[in-house]
Amino acid sequence: MANQAEVTKLVSRLKIPILAKHRRLRNPEGPQGRVKKIRAIVTALFKYERIEVYHYDGDEARGYAERLISDAIRHGDTHKETMEMADYWIEEKNLVHKLFKVLVPRFQNTSSSYTRMLNAPIPHATPEDSHPHFRSVIELRGNPFPPLIQSAVDNRLLIQNVLLEEAKKEYRAAKYAEIAQDLESRANEKSDASSETREDTAEDESQPK
Amino acid sequence: MKFNLCCKVLKSSLNRLSIRQLSSSIQNQNDLFNAELKRQQNAVGRIEKINVVYKGVPEDAELIMNKNLSTPYNCAQHLSEMLCNRSVLALVDGVKLWDMHRPLESDCEVQLLHFHDTDPYHCNRTFWRSCSIMLGSVLSRVFKEDVQVALHSFPSPTVKSGSFVYDVELSLPDWNPTPAELRVLSGEMVKLAYEEIPFERLSIGQDLAEELFQHNRHKLEQIPSIVQQSLDGKVIVYRIKDHIDISRGPMMSNTNHFGRCTIVSAHKIETDVGLLYRFQGVALPKAMQLNHFAYGIIEERAKKLNSGRLPTIQGEYQPAMTSREEIAAPV
Repeated sequence: MANQAEVTKLVSRLKIPILAKHRRLRNPEGPQGRVKKIRAIVTALFKYERIEVYHYDGDEARGYAERLISDAIRHGDTHKETMEMADYWIEEKNLVHKLFKVLVPRFQNTSSSYTRMLNAPIPHATPEDSHPHFRSVIELRGNPFPPLIQSAVDNRLLIQNVLLEEAKKEYRAAKYAEIAQDLESRANEKSDASSETREDTAEDESQPK
Repeated sequence: MKFNLCCKVLKSSLNRLSIRQLSSSIQNQNDLFNAELKRQQNAVGRIEKINVVYKGVPEDAELIMNKNLSTPYNCAQHLSEMLCNRSVLALVDGVKLWDMHRPLESDCEVQLLHFHDTDPYHCNRTFWRSCSIMLGSVLSRVFKEDVQVALHSFPSPTVKSGSFVYDVELSLPDWNPTPAELRVLSGEMVKLAYEEIPFERLSIGQDLAEELFQHNRHKLEQIPSIVQQSLDGKVIVYRIKDHIDISRGPMMSNTNHFGRCTIVSAHKIETDVGLLYRFQGVALPKAMQLNHFAYGIIEERAKKLNSGRLPTIQGEYQPAMTSREEIAAPV
């Protein structure tokens, strides 16, 4: 066991969730058709950087794209196996060049996944197509297109939030004042009581004399 | 209507207000305003062109507009309907806040501001100021004829204070508005918003200003100090429909930005100028939606007497604007 290489170190660990078992992606051409479809999607993703595809096909192909980029970063363009893989999965050969010369520098220092997958709107069911397929948008990070999701806006400055914030502050101030008063009155009571008892004892002492 | 029974001081129902007659003094005031507006427009003379650079969505643009005639609103009309509808205020050359309906005076760069900007500070302030002036407009006409109403002023708007304010002198020594009466006021504010009235801005000389406000002794007293403070010796007046008021502005482009409103209280305040009523309200722009619970919290807070500056006799109408107010801080 000690001499055996650890399998997890042989392949790159991808930063996206991968299913335990591959999807078969039913296809009239059989397994060969599945591979063909994935090659087309991977090629399109590298070419256009943002594509909309059927969810299951896209999710399957995404792993292949991630693995290609990851290997390219790990081994560089002089590694024979990596080059063969890229050559196989990327149909247009100028995109192999893009993978090593454009995408590798882009993703070299990223800590997140290289691609992003978002759910596309589900089309309305029509009489012709009563079971619309789920679609997804896959994109390479750092693409030049406008963002799909608006960056979170700091909305503390919107008028209603300004008003609510001030109301909150005022409420808190009132509460703190209340608590402080409460504590004070309690402390007073206590000191009154203790002084009374002290007086009592003083009287007791004086009486026997 | 139910309001008929409970509003002893206000013109009773909401319906009757809309078909009110213009009193002669208001008519006179408006004639003066119209004449001055026409005179200023004619004074432009030969039309010259200016280059206006627009920065913002949907895309930067360069427009050729008319000097002293075209307004930022006209620029927005060239660009997009969305911009026309949502823009509250314009920012000229990145430093000057400019009313949407104020003619541009030279080559400039224009940005259009709205309530959902990353820092809507100036829009919020402008909204608050516009609410005050709208409240003044409502108060000046909502009371019955036997109640004398003299608008005094409003302190410079601070949203954080929780309410917008108008200080008014009423010939009622001891008046406590009922909830129904306050509701009538709120309703009138919203009706003003439904009418979609643009704010008209005019810069006028001292003589004309005194003529315009001859029926209002408070405003008459304020005019000399306003003139003294202003750089060019002019008084800036705004008109909403037929109500004319003094304010340094800027105001929002149209009353239709105004969404939800509650006039919550009228506090009696003793000042140097006599007994005034401080009307307070809270409002939100139409663009903002808020659930009723949160709005209730804001409403509840607005009932407390606003800590804004109390009117004084020699006191200036509004404190001189600080640089932060007039010049927009770069965001």
